Amino acid sequence: MPTIRVLLFAAAREAAGNVPSVDVDLQEGSADTAVLSRSSLAEKYPKLAPLVSNEEYITLALNEEYVPKGSVLPLKAGDVVALIPPISGG
Amino acid sequence: MTTTENNNNNPSNTTATTATDNNNDDNEAFMIQVTENLPSLEDCYNFVVTGTSGAVSTFVGITRDNYQGKQVAKLSYEGYVPMAVKELRKLCRDARTKYSSIDKIAAVHILGDCPVGQASVILAASSPHRRDAMHCTEYLIDELKRRIPIWKREVYEGDLGSVWKENAETRQMERFDV
Repeated sequence: MPTIRVLLFAAAREAAGNVPSVDVDLQEGSADTAVLSRSSLAEKYPKLAPLVSNEEYITLALNEEYVPKGSVLPLKAGDVVALIPPISGG
Repeated sequence: MTTTENNNNNPSNTTATTATDNNNDDNEAFMIQVTENLPSLEDCYNFVVTGTSGAVSTFVGITRDNYQGKQVAKLSYEGYVPMAVKELRKLCRDARTKYSSIDKIAAVHILGDCPVGQASVILAASSPHRRDAMHCTEYLIDELKRRIPIWKREVYEGDLGSVWKENAETRQMERFDV
């Protein structure tokens, strides 16, 4: 089963109990791809459900690139997803 | 279906190291750092000034001592460091596309605690004539606040606690809409 890592930052990290990352085993969608949606992430990690379901609040990144809103992530083992709460740099 | 919490600090997630841009093509033109030891304004100036520069424009963001009547003790910054460095590099490239006469850019952001009165971010740009350099620094700070994955917690004096801040610009991520 492919495993991916989900990184949590700032308010998302604290909402999960100050956990900086979570490893998630994915169910295979086909021979060599799996899919992670916001709903599956919320299901797998209930503490994050209210955050991750809110597209206005959490932006996703896959392997250090922003993911367009509304898209579903095709994933492979070793991919790194990040939950990006509203930015406050500067 | 299982999930595993990683309670150890993940290196890709750390706020404890200095991350510097290592893309060779851009090294001569861009100085990019996300770091606990912020370079000085003079360091940034010295990097961007060249023989063809007729103007250097700089922007420095500083921790303010108050927010809505509350006394601020410090700001505490956290970053998705490798992505922040990559996004800063893209931002510098975008800026040179938009303002084509720009010679060099310095874009450096602090991590960890930033006490009142100290710089958290420095942006500097050089160009042969003033307008591109001035417009470039404004563009850089506006875009940095919109798209670079860095967060700050505002910590108040006394027992007033602290809050994660949200930039107004972060709501305008239209380029990420499908």
